[in-house]
Amino acid sequence: MTNYLLSKTIRLQKRILPLLLLLGLGSCYRLTPSSGGGQGHVRIGARPVSPEAISLPAGYKATAVATDLTFPTSITFDAQGQPYVIEAGYAYGEVFLTPKLLRIEPDGRLTTIATGTKNGPWTGITFYNGNFYVAEGGQMQGGKILRITPQGNITALAENLPTLGDHHTNGPVVGPDGMLYFGLGTATNSGIVGPDNYDYGWLKRHPDFHDIPCQDVTLTGRNYTSQIPLAGTEGQQTTGAYLPYGTAATQGQTIQGSLPCSGAVLRLSPEGGPLELVAWGFRNPFGLAFSPAGQLYVNDNGYDVRGSRPVWGVGDYLWAVQQNTWYGWPDFSGGLAFDGEKFKPPGKEAPAPLLQAHPNQPPKPAATFGVHSSSNGLDFSTNASFGFPGQAFVAQFGDMAPQVGKVLGPVGFKVVRVDVHTGEITDFAVNKGKENGPASKLGTGGLERPVAARFSPDGQSLYIVDFGVMKVTEKKSEPQQKTGVIWKIMRTEK
Amino acid sequence: MKLTSLLLLPCFILLLAACGTARRGTPLYAPVSTSEPAIAKGAIVFDTYCHKCHPGGEAGLAPALNNKPAPGVAIRFQVRHGLGAMPAFKETVISDEQLDNLLAYIKALRKAKKETPS
Repeated sequence: MTNYLLSKTIRLQKRILPLLLLLGLGSCYRLTPSSGGGQGHVRIGARPVSPEAISLPAGYKATAVATDLTFPTSITFDAQGQPYVIEAGYAYGEVFLTPKLLRIEPDGRLTTIATGTKNGPWTGITFYNGNFYVAEGGQMQGGKILRITPQGNITALAENLPTLGDHHTNGPVVGPDGMLYFGLGTATNSGIVGPDNYDYGWLKRHPDFHDIPCQDVTLTGRNYTSQIPLAGTEGQQTTGAYLPYGTAATQGQTIQGSLPCSGAVLRLSPEGGPLELVAWGFRNPFGLAFSPAGQLYVNDNGYDVRGSRPVWGVGDYLWAVQQNTWYGWPDFSGGLAFDGEKFKPPGKEAPAPLLQAHPNQPPKPAATFGVHSSSNGLDFSTNASFGFPGQAFVAQFGDMAPQVGKVLGPVGFKVVRVDVHTGEITDFAVNKGKENGPASKLGTGGLERPVAARFSPDGQSLYIVDFGVMKVTEKKSEPQQKTGVIWKIMRTEK
Repeated sequence: MKLTSLLLLPCFILLLAACGTARRGTPLYAPVSTSEPAIAKGAIVFDTYCHKCHPGGEAGLAPALNNKPAPGVAIRFQVRHGLGAMPAFKETVISDEQLDNLLAYIKALRKAKKETPS
């Protein structure tokens, strides 16, 4: 009798167990707390720097060439191959300092070449024909493209770029045509000005600011309601796409496009002059690079789960950019339309289309990175001596959960390489340890938040710009000054 | 032994298994062999459709895959029908052949051997 019961129980178990497992896994996402790389126990004191804490493919070696930087974001090299780095001057958490252009001396000392104004962040730099070209984010006065002489004289080639909001003026890089290509991020997460923009600070400074389309768009009339303690507004406000907070859209309403605009890649002569539209419909085209074949690639940061129109399950995308093409913001993600439950945050409303008609069917991305990975600066290997020629190397800043949405494990905090022809993504530089994450969370001296990857002019060395430590909570970001590092990776064996 | 104990024990073992490291990718682990065409093709399918939520098979937006001892049939069912927050991937998105390749890759990734001490 006992044996009969036991065998019956085991048969029952075999049937029920898979169901229990499926149910358990199915509810896993909702039950488990967020566990991003900036959350929980994150070391915010002095930062140890230990290249041996970084795992690289066999035959590669990392060294630290500069430390104690405050919010470094990009690196370039002069005609002699000397490296220069920029400090952003502005960081999440509303930290306002002066941006700086610094030369990295052979012994690691830093020499200040130029100092900007409190209108950061300086997000990118390139050296071309004897001058430096810098993208100034524009958090206070609007974005700018700056030319800086080796003596430190600064001239603005473009000003008043509409990047006073969530995202900034990014780049620039020089194309095969000798033009400067740069990115303009959107004001908002997904087209609607709302509470998240108030929390980030910029809506208090610029209450009328909103996104601007690059070409005329017609709205569906979809509106969103929210309430924030913004001066001049009281109670619940209804807000439509491409409109200021508290301004409702109507069905069939046309919003006129203009240049400069939001979420776009533009180009400009290094001598200045008119801006030209390259492509639009991006959210935050942060990283720009030309492949050895002369194709422009852009890393675009995907939507967050925040604000009045949160979007869930969206990766970051690498795009091969085609002229005059629309890439999908605010109604597509990675080439897929918001047409149902696909991008619906758990327990919230699915994002509905904002545009009545779309300029074109967006292309498919060249690669899809992890959700909230913040895949940013990139460069292409051109030298077989370093390895992986023609592949893109992408710096992943890492998630900013829980502010951008929930994750079950740290995402990013490393450098990956991408075969842009197949979309294959392979880790290149990661922190050692049983789990992924920034060094401050793992308790090591490895990578923290890589924000840019750039090869030396001879292609023999890959430099990683590591922004430094940033703790993230539900309410605020806490970037730590003097924790930025420049890493150099060389191949020692072939 | 009571029925509940019999049911809980394997669940507990599986949970423990899931608590182990989920890291399997290079450069911490030896590269997954792509000499088998199915695995090489499966890697591309994975990076196109799965990497976004399970970066490299590790936990991200979704739980880690690398340390889940789920059999192929369960993975196949989950891909086709979705589960919880995970969407379903129909044949029009991931073909049957691509799904076969994806399974070959996931299984190869799970078996990856450590290359360097971590």
